[in-house]
Order: sequence, then C-alpha cells, then structure tokens
Amino acid sequence: MIWIIAWKNIWRNKVRSLVVILAITFGLFGGVFSSAIMKGMVEQRIKEAVSRETGHIQIHNPKYIDDNEIQYAINGDAGQLEENLDALPEVKAWSSRIKFQAMANSANAGTGVMIFGIDPEKEQQVTEISAMICDSCGTYLDGNKKNQIVVGKALAEKLKVRLRSKIVLTFQDNEGNLTGAAFRICGIYRTSNSMFDEMNVFVRKVDIAKLLITNPQKYQELVISLISPGLVTAVQDELTGSFPELLVRNWKEIDPMLGMMSDLTVVWLYMFMTIILLALGFGIINTMLMTILERTRELGMLAAIGMNKGRIFLMIMLESVYLSLTGAAIGMALGYILTLYTSHTGISLSSFAEGFEKIGYNPIMYPYLDLNFFITLTVMVICIGILASIYPARKALKLNPAEAVRTE
Amino acid sequence: MNIIEIKDLKKIYNDSEVAVHALNGVNLTFQQGEFAAIVGPSGSGKTTLLNLLGGLDEPSEGTIQIDGLNIGELSSRKLINFRLKNIGFVFQSFNLIPVLTAYENVEFIMNLQGYSREKRHTRTTELLESVGLGDRVNSRPAKLSGGQQQRVAVARALASKPKFILADEPTANLDSQSTSNLLDIMEKLNREENITFIFSTHDQRVVNKARRVIQVEDGKVTSDEVIQSP
Repeated sequence: MIWIIAWKNIWRNKVRSLVVILAITFGLFGGVFSSAIMKGMVEQRIKEAVSRETGHIQIHNPKYIDDNEIQYAINGDAGQLEENLDALPEVKAWSSRIKFQAMANSANAGTGVMIFGIDPEKEQQVTEISAMICDSCGTYLDGNKKNQIVVGKALAEKLKVRLRSKIVLTFQDNEGNLTGAAFRICGIYRTSNSMFDEMNVFVRKVDIAKLLITNPQKYQELVISLISPGLVTAVQDELTGSFPELLVRNWKEIDPMLGMMSDLTVVWLYMFMTIILLALGFGIINTMLMTILERTRELGMLAAIGMNKGRIFLMIMLESVYLSLTGAAIGMALGYILTLYTSHTGISLSSFAEGFEKIGYNPIMYPYLDLNFFITLTVMVICIGILASIYPARKALKLNPAEAVRTE
Repeated sequence: MNIIEIKDLKKIYNDSEVAVHALNGVNLTFQQGEFAAIVGPSGSGKTTLLNLLGGLDEPSEGTIQIDGLNIGELSSRKLINFRLKNIGFVFQSFNLIPVLTAYENVEFIMNLQGYSREKRHTRTTELLESVGLGDRVNSRPAKLSGGQQQRVAVARALASKPKFILADEPTANLDSQSTSNLLDIMEKLNREENITFIFSTHDQRVVNKARRVIQVEDGKVTSDEVIQSP
C-alpha cells in the first residue's frame, strides 16, 4: 500500500512534479542522445578500423613487430596454422599478407608507404578496401593482371597521380639488395581515415614475392575476421595455445589507441551521465524538501498512529525514485527513439568531412547505444532517486509527531 | 479494571531559557470503557498529558503504565509499534491521508498491522458503516465535510482494535450538527462496544456528554469528577 500512496503523493502537486519530471526527461534525453552520438562515433571508428585495417586478430612472428623486416615471416607453422583456421567455426575468413615498408615514387613526388602483398580474393573476405573504391575510381586488384596497385586517395593526391598512372615502388629484397618495379594504379580507395589512405598500398602477393625473391607462402602477417567480435578472446586464446611461438594479437592490442578509445568511451559516458544525474538529483532533493515541509502535519500523524521510521523512509524514498524514474523513462525512451531513427538515417557532418577524416572518423555519424547502457542507466537513476531522498527523509524522520500533528 | 495508571507524572520543557513545567505531578487511573474528558484552559497541560498518554512524548518524571506496561521504558521503535497496536488517535484537524479514499484511510492502519486483505475489507466496511459513512467509502477527504472527515478519523482509530482512543480537541473544527453527530457515534461505540475514549477539550458539548471530567490547571489535576462509572 505504501507503494501506491507514494505514487499518489507525487501527483498531489502536479505542476511541481511535472516540472521536475520534465527536467529529468530533458536531462536524460540529452544525455542519452549525446552518449549515443559519442558511442556511435567510436564504435563506427572501431568497426571501420577492424573491417578495413586490423581485422579482429592478427598473427605475426614476434620479431616482426619489433623490426618490421621481411625475413621475420611466419615460418614453418604456416601450413598448420592455415589448416587450423579453416577448421575453426568462429573464423569467417583469413588472409595472409607479405607486408613491409617501401618508397613510392611518381614522376612528381615520393613518400614512404606500407606495402600489403595480398591474395585479392582472400583479402576481400577479410577487409573492405575493395568496397572503398568508388565507381569512377577503378577496380580492385585482378587476380590475373601483373603489377597492379591499389592506392589511397590521399596518397594519390600526394604523389599527384591518377587512375592508370604508374608509380615506382623501391625496397630491399630478401637478400638485402635494393630492388623495385613500376606498378600501374588500377584503383583508388578512400576510407574515412585519410592517414590510413596515405600510408597503405595493396598489390598482389605473387608480384611482390617475385621482386623480394621469396616464396609467396612465406608471409609476415595473417589477418583473421571472425563471425562475431565477441569471439575474439576465445579464438585468440585458442590460437595462442596452439602456436605459442607466434604472436597472436587482437585488434585492441594491434591498435592500442582503438582499444583505449573503446574502454575510455564507456568510462566517459558513465561519468557524463553521472554528472547529469547528480545535477538532476539536487532538483529532486529540492522538490522532496518542499514536499516534506508541506506535509509536516501528515507525516507527524503517520508517525503518531504507528507508521514506523522504516516505512516513512520507504515512502519518501519511493516518491523520489518514482519522480526520477518517470522522468528518466520518458527521457530514455525519447533518446532511444531518436538514436534508433538516426542510427538508420545517419547524421551528416559533411561540412566538417576533411577534419573528421584526418583524425580517422567518418563524417556521417550513426548514433549507437547498447542495451547494457540503458540497464546501467536505469540502475543509476534509481540510485540517484534513493540518494536524493536521504536528506529529505532524514528531515521527516526527525519530526516530533506530537508537534508535527499540530502544525498549521 | 484499570487499563491506564499514571503516577507522579511530570513534564518539563527546557527548550527556552526558563524551564516550563507543563505537568507537575499528575496521578490518574483510567478503566476500560471510560468516556472521559480532560478539560482546562489553554496552556494548562491537557494536550501534554494526552501526548504523554499516547507515547508521543517522553515524561520527565513519573510513569505511565498501560495494561501493566511502563511505556516510558520502551525504545522508540517498540513505542511506535505499541502505539500502532494499542492506541487509537483522533486529531483536531482530522489528519487523514488526502490521497486515499475514506475506505483506504481506514484500511491503511490495518495494512500497517499486517492484516489480510479479506480481514481488512470486512472490518473497514463495518467501521465505516458504524460511523454512518457506508455510502462514502470511495470519497477522498477533500470531498467530505469536516464532520464526515472526523468520523473517518474515528473509524481509522478503531480499526487497529486499540485499548483506548485519545481524541485531542476532536470537535474544535466542527459545526454544532457535526459535533453532535460525532459525539453520538463515539458515545454509541463506547456504550455498545465498551471502547475507552479520552478527550482533551474546551468544548462544553463534549464535557456535557462525558461521564468523567478531569480538570487540569497549571500542570496539575484540580478536580476529577466521575459522573457515571463505566
């Protein structure tokens, strides 16, 4: 019955309760949607980085990580490793890469690049670079055509080259000699990370293996795409156990910035929401104090007739929690609806595209929040409701029933 | 049989610079079924006496025994529970819960006592019938007249099956007709169900109905006239 009385009590002064509820509604709505934008941006960045750059898991010779030298390939175990990956149901696809640094030169300019010697068919199943080539920007690598290269738009601009232009790649071969060859640009990709686009070029593994005087089956990197991001740890542990001499890293370890961003965003979002809720909590305290003041006589009567302190506290706490939860439920629902809508339509910030792309972000944002956030937020709202009721409730409990019942 | 025994009761308020002796050695006993009025001018100590009797305040000296139990020795928690189970209150300004209906106000105290829904329903309905409000069970206090609200308060006080009912100036805010109705109902409950009523009042109409009149002045009982024993 106390639950019902508490609910009815908050509607005694409708205007005052509605003002508080509206404040909480707008606070939570703004907080949820802002959080969704932040989380969406980060998730999108991570998703794009994983699907275009890192994959879920990468495997290397541990020495390669320190020196980036081509002789530090995945030796010996490559065949067994590939068999194991083919047998793992969690693995969607994998691709091996001959990966090393080189100089890229055009007739106009030169710059350092990272060469990815790939098997085009396999690579397309792991990374989305092929989908980042627009209709007028050429095609992905053809399995049969020799010495073709796919470059990023930012690199093409830096080298002042176009589709079908030639660029010369210069690097050390496996025997330590300087070697190189001209490659014709067959496609120009553009991701939302211009730094990535400026640094990385893709060529056929067979072409580059010949120039390196190496076996195409000896490669430096194996990148794995999983059927679900949630399986990363399990697969990583299994592969580490099976191939202890190899370095098996997940995307967070490959790009610590991404990992940190993912973890920090969660902390930041909760801090952000805590600040909003604390501010709203003071509004609730104020309302509850006014309520207690207005109901001094009634609270005195309740204590006099035998309602114990625990029940009085519960009643006031419930009123505070109801106020908080009502506003929060509406605010979260509105925030969720807008998040859902904009997660399909996206929010275009194309006027800031250049800036966003320079730091690796997509100028079209897709807000996103998971269910856990809403569950945690609901618990936080209830906690704030309880905390906000403590001071007013203590005031109520200190009332002397004999005096309170005679209050005018 | 005495249900209340008050011995050497003193209450001194030290809130201000000068100590106020609100009660100054009161000795009284009450029997089951009494219909007693405590009368006296403002500041005489009658409300203080009623508050102490109801366990709403602690005596400075002396004892109050209810059915042999010294309520001054009870902890705050036990005292609240004692009030819930043993004492019915009717206040001057009705003091009903405004968001609840007449029915719910009466039922509430039995809910606190932990009665089943069925028992609560039966007793609430009976009590509201007995105070003549069988047709207003679903009305909220704001929709009831002062007299009707006070009758709901009497029904609520009875709901917990208390040993006695303390009524502090119950007719102070009522017109003559409502006062007369209310007193008739309380007198009927007293006579037919042997319920003990103790009033503090200024109202001569209450005094006229009372079968025992206790005069209090300057914190002392100056006269105690039993007109008719229970």
